[in-house]
Amino acid sequence: MPLESAAPAVRAVGEPTVKFGAFLDGIQSSHTEYNGRNGVPIVGGTVAAVIRRRADRVLHAWPGSPKILHAFYAPFAIIGESAVAWLRTGGIELVDTLERGDPPEARHPMELLALARNAVQRNRERLEVELAEAWCSSEAEPLFVDGGISGARNASQSELAVGVVKSHRTLYATPESLGVITALAVGMRTASFEIRPKHRTTVASWYLRLRDPRGRDPLFGLVRVEIARDSWSADRADQVSRWVLAERAPVSLPDKRWSTMAYGIRDCEEYLRAHL
Amino acid sequence: MSILGRVVATERKPNTPHEFHFWTALDSPVGIGTIVRVESAQPVNGALPVVYGVVVEGFGYTDVETPLHEVLGYDGAPGGEAGAPTKRTEIRLYSAAVLRHVPEEPLQPVAMGTVHLASDEDVAVALRMDAYLAPGASTGIPVGMYRSGATSSPVWLDADFLLGPEAAHLNISGVSGLATKTSAVEWLLASIFAHFPEKKGRVAAVCFNVKGPDLCFLDQPAAKLDDADRALYDRLGVPAEPFKDVEYYAPYTAKGYALNTLRSNEALAHNVKPLTWGLREVLQYAEVLLNKDDVDAKADALIDFIKERVVDQTFEDPKYLSTAHTVQSFGELERWFRDLLTGMEKQNAESWRTHHVATIRKVRNRLTNISTRCRGLVTDDGTVSDLPFGEFRDRAIYVVDVANVEADAQDLIFSRIVSTLREHLEKRSLGVEHVIVFVDELNKYAPSDGPDTYVRAMLLDIAERGRYLGLVLFAAQQFRSQVHRRVVGNSGTALFGRMDPDELATPGYATLSPATRTKLSTLEKGQLMVRHPHFSQPVFVRFPRPAVLSGREGVERFPQAAEQTLDEAVTRALRSLDRSITLEWVKESIALAEEDEVLRARNRTVQTRPDDVKAYFRGQLKRRVRAEPADARPRQPLKKSPTDDPYGF
Repeated sequence: MPLESAAPAVRAVGEPTVKFGAFLDGIQSSHTEYNGRNGVPIVGGTVAAVIRRRADRVLHAWPGSPKILHAFYAPFAIIGESAVAWLRTGGIELVDTLERGDPPEARHPMELLALARNAVQRNRERLEVELAEAWCSSEAEPLFVDGGISGARNASQSELAVGVVKSHRTLYATPESLGVITALAVGMRTASFEIRPKHRTTVASWYLRLRDPRGRDPLFGLVRVEIARDSWSADRADQVSRWVLAERAPVSLPDKRWSTMAYGIRDCEEYLRAHL
Repeated sequence: MSILGRVVATERKPNTPHEFHFWTALDSPVGIGTIVRVESAQPVNGALPVVYGVVVEGFGYTDVETPLHEVLGYDGAPGGEAGAPTKRTEIRLYSAAVLRHVPEEPLQPVAMGTVHLASDEDVAVALRMDAYLAPGASTGIPVGMYRSGATSSPVWLDADFLLGPEAAHLNISGVSGLATKTSAVEWLLASIFAHFPEKKGRVAAVCFNVKGPDLCFLDQPAAKLDDADRALYDRLGVPAEPFKDVEYYAPYTAKGYALNTLRSNEALAHNVKPLTWGLREVLQYAEVLLNKDDVDAKADALIDFIKERVVDQTFEDPKYLSTAHTVQSFGELERWFRDLLTGMEKQNAESWRTHHVATIRKVRNRLTNISTRCRGLVTDDGTVSDLPFGEFRDRAIYVVDVANVEADAQDLIFSRIVSTLREHLEKRSLGVEHVIVFVDELNKYAPSDGPDTYVRAMLLDIAERGRYLGLVLFAAQQFRSQVHRRVVGNSGTALFGRMDPDELATPGYATLSPATRTKLSTLEKGQLMVRHPHFSQPVFVRFPRPAVLSGREGVERFPQAAEQTLDEAVTRALRSLDRSITLEWVKESIALAEEDEVLRARNRTVQTRPDDVKAYFRGQLKRRVRAEPADARPRQPLKKSPTDDPYGF
């Protein structure tokens, strides 16, 4: 649902302004630890999230982070109680990959593997949400969050959390506005709109072009920004856009996503990789 | 002590038993030459290993893969840097060479661990100084202060490895004009004199001043010694004062009036003595001055004959010589040659005692020429004024000023003094048990290439065998690579001041890391890199300014005396023995004497140092009847001439 008039379709946001006080990101890794009876995969997964606070242009881990969780992911009902009991002897957290009420019948191993990976991802998101909530409840500076913020109940309603989505598997655009998005010039944003995901919080969002796409694909340097719906105003959208634009330097090369990835987010990932 | 860094090893950059790597915070005080201690948490044989190392290389880099990424990041505008809200992740990675493992065995690659700045005690252990700094049995000689961050630790050399007998000799390299070589030697001599253990015997130094006024004011206090210097002296236990016992020796100028030294100011004349030798002293080292191509075996045989059969004894040969000769000076040798050749000509003889007349003429030419080539040092009349061999004093410095002397004479002086020192040390009759011989410009005396000279052979001999005798060579040069490798190779201790980059590119420095070489080429005044047998790796130290007046300041404060007349030169020389002697007295005394005779009388008086200087000096001059005016009165002829004498007039 649009929040602004479609005319003009694009707006110049002004000169970049440095404002973010910290960056939040998480990473995950998983691999099959054991193949149980009938090829049921038991997945070992590690998830981690960190807030890197910026002070005097240098990033440091925010107290309370990183959060790291090692766990085994398995369909308890399928591997059986004895196997679950044996896994518990390792002292590592166990996560059931089956939803409550799922039938405990044999399934395709790849399906079970996908269930495990989804569980790993949920845990990673959970850690990110925990950190985002903690930041918004205790700090006063804006937080640059990698990805959407609608999954965090409190943070998504805070003025401090700004979600920046780099991937565009889902494009929030009508056939008419798609051309506007792909033709967006550097430093311009689209009109804002509301996103109302199922089971998540409604947020305000818009597209912003960080880098010149000429000679590249149409989504090069394009991000989608999310802020709390209640905090939205056109001026605030411009203001937040200026903050995001300021994070284009330094570039995040050699990461392949460098056109849309803030250096602070890359720093979070490098930091977490060093810890896993 | 807080953790400075952490050891890191990768497959590309693995740790070894002799090298390890560690990273630090960006603001750490680590630099090239910093000594660190590594504590490992992994026990080996039940003990936690501790490793000491010295930083030899440093690396810094960010997460930028190529410089092009930075260009892209700032759109090609370097000024955009200020706008970057976040600094890139940056690393300081250092490589350190292992100084010591504790325990020493098993010798393993350096394990992961925490890195700490070395404390005083750590520095002593790392450099193995704990072995010779035991209270009551210390043989330590402070060479300077190691500094890094808040750490400031004295670095000691082992006297047994500096002055023998275990190892010996010191070699100093550094570019000229940066107060490194001379200053370092002056400082180190002061340190040795303050710390050399008495039980190891007495020690003195003979310094050859080969250029300018460098060593001419060792007994005068420094013009400028700041608080930092004094603090260093205090910490290292060396008195910040000039040398108390210094004697200067210099040959005369070619004219023979004054000593050929920049220390000619009358206020400093009390301890400046002439260095003059006669025929006997020079003939012993004739080969120093005679070109080997010039003097063949036949000439050599004749010189030997003269040394053994002619000099210092009465020599008769009625067949060829008109008279008996007692040859004790170059003048008498010349007369002997002339008489012999005249006798041979008269008898039309082609040879004399198997020596061909041509050989005799050649040897005559070469030998008598020495007194001309070394005028001022070699006396025709055999007067000798020498270093006090046999009476050397403990902690005394004898400076031989050869800065203004011809190269031939320098070689002769150097060879004879060092050889005489060696002879006395062999007989234990020098007066001290250890002598430090300091010579600058070693590349001139012991070059790595060129003809094999007597001086070089002698230096090689000292370098290889001197330590057993207590004869220790402290040598300096700009370019170590141009010095004979056996001379520098036998120097147990080496000091390096600021070095010329071209010199550092020579193979002799290949064992140093590029960073260490860079540091060497940018060293400040007062900094040295030290190699010593106990140190596994070179270390950098800082030493204080010498507490003596520098040559440049010395010539300003004590200007060189103006050129003297003969009267003035004699007056000055004699006044050092008897203050009552005046210029008028000298003028009156030498009024009738020839110049050579006056100089001979002066030299003998100065050498003899008689109680009654005036009487002795006058006694050396030939007695002459004073001329009187002719009587003007007319004399009466004994007999008148006849007036008619036709032949009278």
